[in-house]
Amino acid sequence: MPSYETIAFRAQDCDGCMKCVTACAQAKSGADDPAQSRIQILGAAGKWELALCRQCGDPKCVSNCPSAALAKDAETGVVAWDADRCVDCLLCTVGCAYAGITRDARVGHVSKCDLCDGDPACVKACDRGALTLNTAARIHRRAAEREDLFAPGLAACQGCNSELLIRHTLRHVGPNTVVATPPGCIPGMGTVGYNGRTGTKVPVFHPLLTNTASMLTGIKRYYKRVGRDDVQVLALAGDGGTSDAGFQSLSGAAERDEPMLYICVDNEGYMNTGMQASSATTYGSWTSTTPVGERLQGKSTEAKNLPVVMMTHNCSYVATAATAFLEDFYEKLDKAIEVSKTGMAYLHVFAPCPTGWRFGSDRTTDVCRLAVETNFFALWDYTPDAGLTFTRPTGRPRPVREYLAGIGKYRHLSEGQVAHIQATVERKIAHLRRFERTGA
Amino acid sequence: MPHTRYLVVGASHAGLEAVTAIRHWDAEGSLTVLSREAHRPYSPTILPYVVSGRSRPERVALKDAAWFEARKVDLRCGEEVVSIDTAGAVARTASGTEWRYERLLLATGAAPAVPPVPGLADVRFHVLRTLDDALALRDAGAGATTAVVLGAGLVGLHAAEVLAKAGARVAVVERQAHALPGYLDAPAAGIVEAAFRDRGIALMTGRTVSSVQSRDGRPVSVTLDDGGTLPADLLLVGTGVRPATGFLEGSGIAVGQGILVDDTMRTNIADVWAAGDVAQARAFFGAAPIVNGILPDAVEQGRIAGMAMAGDPALKPYIGGLPINTFPFFGRHAVSVGIAGEDDPSVEIHRRLDARAGLYSRLSLKDGRLIGVCTVGMPIDAGVMWQLISRRVDLAPVKQDFVVAPLDTGRALMSRLWR
Amino acid sequence: MADAAALLPNAPKTIVCDGNEAAAWGVVLSRPDVVAVYPITPQSSLVEYVSQFIADGTLDAELLNLEGEHSVLSALQGAALAGARTYTATCGPGLAFMFEPYVRTPGLRLPMVASLVTRDMLTPQCVWGGQQDAMTVRDCGWIHMYCETVQEVLDTTIMAYRIAEHRDVMLPVNVNHDGNYLSYGVARAEMPAQAAVDGFLGVKDVNWHAALDPLRPMAIDPLTGGAGGPGPSMFVRYRKGLCNGMRNALRVIEETHAEWGRLTGRHHAPLIEEYRLDDAEVALVTIGSMTGAAKDAVDALRSGGKRVGLIKVKTMRPFPVEAMARALSKVNAVAVVDRAVSYGWNAGPVYQETLGALYRARHMIPAVSVIGGLAGADITDGHFARCIGMAFAAAASGQAPDGPVWLNEND
Repeated sequence: MPSYETIAFRAQDCDGCMKCVTACAQAKSGADDPAQSRIQILGAAGKWELALCRQCGDPKCVSNCPSAALAKDAETGVVAWDADRCVDCLLCTVGCAYAGITRDARVGHVSKCDLCDGDPACVKACDRGALTLNTAARIHRRAAEREDLFAPGLAACQGCNSELLIRHTLRHVGPNTVVATPPGCIPGMGTVGYNGRTGTKVPVFHPLLTNTASMLTGIKRYYKRVGRDDVQVLALAGDGGTSDAGFQSLSGAAERDEPMLYICVDNEGYMNTGMQASSATTYGSWTSTTPVGERLQGKSTEAKNLPVVMMTHNCSYVATAATAFLEDFYEKLDKAIEVSKTGMAYLHVFAPCPTGWRFGSDRTTDVCRLAVETNFFALWDYTPDAGLTFTRPTGRPRPVREYLAGIGKYRHLSEGQVAHIQATVERKIAHLRRFERTGA
Repeated sequence: MPHTRYLVVGASHAGLEAVTAIRHWDAEGSLTVLSREAHRPYSPTILPYVVSGRSRPERVALKDAAWFEARKVDLRCGEEVVSIDTAGAVARTASGTEWRYERLLLATGAAPAVPPVPGLADVRFHVLRTLDDALALRDAGAGATTAVVLGAGLVGLHAAEVLAKAGARVAVVERQAHALPGYLDAPAAGIVEAAFRDRGIALMTGRTVSSVQSRDGRPVSVTLDDGGTLPADLLLVGTGVRPATGFLEGSGIAVGQGILVDDTMRTNIADVWAAGDVAQARAFFGAAPIVNGILPDAVEQGRIAGMAMAGDPALKPYIGGLPINTFPFFGRHAVSVGIAGEDDPSVEIHRRLDARAGLYSRLSLKDGRLIGVCTVGMPIDAGVMWQLISRRVDLAPVKQDFVVAPLDTGRALMSRLWR
Repeated sequence: MADAAALLPNAPKTIVCDGNEAAAWGVVLSRPDVVAVYPITPQSSLVEYVSQFIADGTLDAELLNLEGEHSVLSALQGAALAGARTYTATCGPGLAFMFEPYVRTPGLRLPMVASLVTRDMLTPQCVWGGQQDAMTVRDCGWIHMYCETVQEVLDTTIMAYRIAEHRDVMLPVNVNHDGNYLSYGVARAEMPAQAAVDGFLGVKDVNWHAALDPLRPMAIDPLTGGAGGPGPSMFVRYRKGLCNGMRNALRVIEETHAEWGRLTGRHHAPLIEEYRLDDAEVALVTIGSMTGAAKDAVDALRSGGKRVGLIKVKTMRPFPVEAMARALSKVNAVAVVDRAVSYGWNAGPVYQETLGALYRARHMIPAVSVIGGLAGADITDGHFARCIGMAFAAAASGQAPDGPVWLNEND
């Protein structure tokens, strides 16, 4: 089923100003009468709610219509209403659980949101960000047109964002690709296959933990030699295979700016093998090899700041990404794919691990978002020419405490440790700013 | 003998919704829809609008050919199933074709129930269940000067309005004490009745027709049980419908008032399902299964049947049929969801009535939960109310707000539930 | 090397070079697609020669200058899986660093060729020749052939590609030549014509069985069952397959050497060489470049009427146990000279293999383990004369000394 753009509502950001309601009434009826608005804000201060058509995927109003006056537009996803066919029976309203289609007595028929041709007046009127037009569907639609090049039924843990990440990545990179995925969660979930069967529809290799970048070097160089420069080589590696044992080969490939796309899926440790610490494990983290006890309170040293290390190599492109900001990821992925035709593109993607970090499997995206919003994991990209550009604002971060709360591996942290992490976050951001582009 | 994985008999709301549901889970399995109608699939609910001319008959099709093609559905119109061999899994049509099926859905709807009135069988009278019925009534209505409608149900009253607007002198004979019995409570019905009477339509409630007089097979007048007579050069029987189950004789499919189904719309035969007006299923209120016979429920049942037939694991069992009706009359609307609960002393009923303005609302709450709502001439979100009733949402924390402002309170509750 | 391209022979020609340059010429004539290099003593001049040949256009190959031997072999695995004929060379600590991808290569059945310019292993710290490096990895699944002369280095390097890529073999080959003695020892060598080598090697056949190619998508080396899951049968099948490749290699190595002899007139012993063995009472068993001095010692003693012969092991893996058993059956005692140690056995690796072959021959004769030439030490004809003396003593007494004889203990 295709996906569509929708209007999203964040109740906590709504202050009941009703500008959206007025804007809709103006746009649709040329009047200020809020009754003629197709969006309604209800409730009271602190608990504002919304009545608006959700443009359902399987709309009951359409099923209930006896006159075929309602239909979901396959192109835009808008549940469209046809005045000419409508018989004013109100059976559509029976199907709607959200009061998204209601009768407007002034005009004598039902009315509903039509997304203003993709540029909703209500969203434009909302200056608090409570209403936003969720355009993620553009990505999904684009992705849906491409083949999913992994087999169905990969066995990632519940709540893991890696499967989402690699499926979307490979759809994007396309079929003319050789994938290498060293030991870790990604092969562990079945991408490299078992017993003679494969989990991937393109050539896939399970290299050593240590040699992903160098074996891809050999592949790419040979294809270049035989005139098949268009064969893309792609690494899908964990932080251990990238930052620890695999670092020498990565560093060599980066120094030579080998044409490849290297994606490090950073879950801050060896989560596939029982949550041992890696050099990417952050300060204070509980892991099974940096445990918490009388004498030790989790990891006592900082994580290696691998994206910065890569930035100071000769890579043509380095970027960080988090799956809570998919559009940002996709922009970077597009750039990375382009760059990787001639040089090395390194993407470092944040991958919170519900199993190893001990948080609820429904919170992965929240954890991703909080990591970014607290500057714990800043989003930026870098090219040698343009320098570093932050792709999400870092100016007004939330306190890192909000990120740490609710992640089990930080449960034991003392006030002192939290303060230390806050200071580290600030120091890292200040350091990154020194690489920031100063102007065009 | 043609073979199909899914055979859907009937192409109105239940049948089409089943097709949608099947295709959500099984994009490829062969799927055949048989419709006894020669016309493209349409909704019986549209028929009064065809009679009135508001809907053009060539534009009432619920889905176009492309819709069926996109879903790889083999739609066969004009194919009426006349018998089913459940042991052999074969459905036979009037044209003699035998379809071997793997899973069968019966969504054949209902047929008019014609009362045994002396003389009725001798005259040409109208019913309103098919598009051909509607076209015949539309043509006849244009020339009729007097019309009698038997039954003040949704179809009868709606047709009466249409015939009156077309210029006929119309009388409606209803056996029950008020119009729209079973759909609206008495105060709501009173407003509707007043509107009809205001427009010169005679509403004879508590009356029955005892005989029909005719000449050359055409009606002349009807005689009522109180001895009165009404002139009638057009006679419309709108005394309700009954599930169309005659073709199931000998099939072994269990039939009560309708085809008896479980909460996945499955009949007593493992590979046969039924949905919509032909089915008799669990009631939301009360223990006895009912033929709910309303459009939104046909959709719901069709969806459940389709999911069950395709083996969709997301299937949630049917929660039971809940009465819901919208009744448009003279540009106004009566809406009723759930039950009034007037016989139950534990039900808390909140009424507001302005008979002069024709405005009415009733909320029925039991144990802090909504069980029914009825309005005339006032805005109401029927879908929101249906959700509040069927989810048995506890309204106790917001009861004061809800009673005063059911719309806003209900919308806010659903907005929160959605998030 | 400026006129290297002009050196590329259209006809056979004679050159004078050391073993490293001979190997490099063998590489040039074999036309690999991808060469990956990382320098290490005493291999360095070999990869310098190859790099220069590529720089000059004498060899049309992709040159990868990588950051260590681990990446060198890893990159070549990738290249081979993409379809490339590959080459590299290493030794000693470099081989140790390469070990992780090295042990994996045979299981992938990649028909690579790599030279080992054999070097003794640390510690004690040492940059000199010895065979401890190659002997330590003899059970990893690579084919190991040891060269005796500069000419044999050149010829074997070329033959190695044909052996590796033979569909009945499909295994990587190490062409081993002794550091110092062969790497830097200069001799005359005959170089075959390029066209002759092209015909001899035929069409490259590298990744027909296992490819990383979007035109033939497949998973290379998916996980297999072991103690859990579907069980170890697939794993066992792969192990047995590798053993079958090794067994087939014995035949293919012989056929290839015979064909090379027909082509060039140079007949190198493919598996083992029997030297003046037919009427011998005792024999030396040797491997690699030491064999020249050993043959001199045999000749000298033969001149004195001693019935002594020699068995040279060229192919250490697959070990030619039948050929060795036949040869050993001809004598009453042997002295086996190794340039490596098998710790714990405290004897030489070739000595152990010899014991195994004797058991296969059901020929229970005394065998003396001699360890010499460690850390680049000389094994002189005098040393070999002493070894032969020990063999005669053992034949007479029916007893070999306990433990190994250390040749250079007092040198």
